[in-house]
Amino acid sequence: MTTNVYGGDEVGAIVFDVGSYSLRSGYAGEDSPKAEIPSYIATYLDEGDKENGGVETMETEDSSNISKSSRRKYLVDSCGIHVPKPDAEIVTYMKDGLIDNWDLFEKILDHAYAQYLQTESRYHPVLFSEAPWNNDRSKREKLIELAFEKYDAPAFYLVKSAVLSAFANGRSTGLVLDSGATTTSAVPVHDGYVLQNSIVRIPLAGDFITSQCKKMLEEQQVEIIPSYMIGSKEAVKDNDTPKWSKKPRLPVVGQSYHEYMVKEVLQDFQSAVVQVSDGLYDPDVVATMPMVHYEFPNGYNKDFGGERFRIAEPLFDTSALTGLEAAMGSMGVAQTVSMSANMCDVDLKPTLYNNVIVTGGNTLLQGFVERLNRDLSAKTPPSMRLKVVAASGPSERRFSSWIGGSILASLGNFQQMWISKQEYDEGGKSQVEKKCP
Amino acid sequence: MSSGVTVADACKTTFEEIKKDKKHRYVIYFIKDEKQIEVESIGDRERSYEDFITDLQKEGPSECRYGVFDFEYTHQCQGTTEASKKQKLFLMSWCPDTAKIKKKMLYSSSFDALKKSLVGIQKYIQATDLSEASESAVEEKLRATDRN
Repeated sequence: MTTNVYGGDEVGAIVFDVGSYSLRSGYAGEDSPKAEIPSYIATYLDEGDKENGGVETMETEDSSNISKSSRRKYLVDSCGIHVPKPDAEIVTYMKDGLIDNWDLFEKILDHAYAQYLQTESRYHPVLFSEAPWNNDRSKREKLIELAFEKYDAPAFYLVKSAVLSAFANGRSTGLVLDSGATTTSAVPVHDGYVLQNSIVRIPLAGDFITSQCKKMLEEQQVEIIPSYMIGSKEAVKDNDTPKWSKKPRLPVVGQSYHEYMVKEVLQDFQSAVVQVSDGLYDPDVVATMPMVHYEFPNGYNKDFGGERFRIAEPLFDTSALTGLEAAMGSMGVAQTVSMSANMCDVDLKPTLYNNVIVTGGNTLLQGFVERLNRDLSAKTPPSMRLKVVAASGPSERRFSSWIGGSILASLGNFQQMWISKQEYDEGGKSQVEKKCP
Repeated sequence: MSSGVTVADACKTTFEEIKKDKKHRYVIYFIKDEKQIEVESIGDRERSYEDFITDLQKEGPSECRYGVFDFEYTHQCQGTTEASKKQKLFLMSWCPDTAKIKKKMLYSSSFDALKKSLVGIQKYIQATDLSEASESAVEEKLRATDRN
């Protein structure tokens, strides 16, 4: 090779979109990711019993952690983590939207390559997304190192997720509102570059709604039994005491494991029941809204009425926050958008208000976009025109940055953007700061 | 961040013909084979803004395009009696919300390359629906930078 531009576009690139809730992975050029793997991993101490033959393939050993008789084992992916093990705990490699535990992250990547992509990493250029607020040079350099040193990829690229979402919505300039699991962020993008200083983030997102659901169900004295505990159940009438029996020989799991399984039940409840009120929450108005019926894994079932609107209200009206969350002094979703826009250059503001791009799994809450539109119109300066865009399909909304990355990495001319293995060998890991804004 | 799509020399040449020689009213660009931005059509001096919008959408609602238009309007400064004629060149990216996601991605991630190669554009307009691309909306944007 005479040039150091990565030359082979005949082999498909691989795209990884890293999130707090899950890792999306798949081949560039495809419409949707091949796999969505939870960012959570179950871990337990293997005491040397060999009765778990069926799930052996999901397990990876951490050789550095071998003690006398027990080894720490890891179970990844949803089929792995749903097998309850004695003293199992749930851990995640993500922190604050960024990769924090690289050993665990590698286990997930290994799994993605082996189980879903079914290929060897050394054949495929790899494109990663990252959180828009990631300006931690050491983390970015760690990722490029991982791609070239461990996975021996022929080429690498790193893009801010907000830029991919903006492009996928036909805009090189806009304000990306991304509400995911842990964070809701308003990120201005100008000509394909994130304006880092004007990012506004709040911790009110999907996980917060889940905790609100939990609180509400506790108030109603509904006990949440995760599916892993349930051996059998019988159909019961509305509001009747559930009739169910515990699975026999259930191992005693760790607290974080149990809590994670409860959280999964709550997440399902949340997507089925919770709705954002059109206007400011008014108990009299929502009382007239249709009830939603929900059955918990243990068979307990009931109708939920006005309370399903109350749960999501703090997203938009933080005066509804109580206790600890209120003390954090957070602001609502619409406010993050207007605050972020106001921090930008005056000339840019009209374009930002005109191109508010909504993305992320939490925005799929019923009524989220409508309420945002309503609250934001009240905050839009009268001389400007507000336009809120949101993909209508749930997968486009949840995977917009993966899809954007998939298209970008499949473009023939994108090969001149990749950092090639040769460039990395010659220029080192600092190439990532040079070539990936 | 951009896609690596390049800009054909003809794009610049045609743009210069509008800017310097006032030979055409507008030019429409498209991306050929996902690789290079090329000239698709040129509008004569007599052509109107409506013709421009029609040409921009010629391939239907699922397609994206770029366009440069030489816009003329009159402007009257406060305290003066005479209205002056103004001419401004704008570059528009046309990515309608109805376009296929692949096209949106391709055109929006390549816009920066075109922006950089055309020197002397007074305004960049990102249009995603007809109201944003309309003559009145565009005129409003162009006037926004005039002194009163």
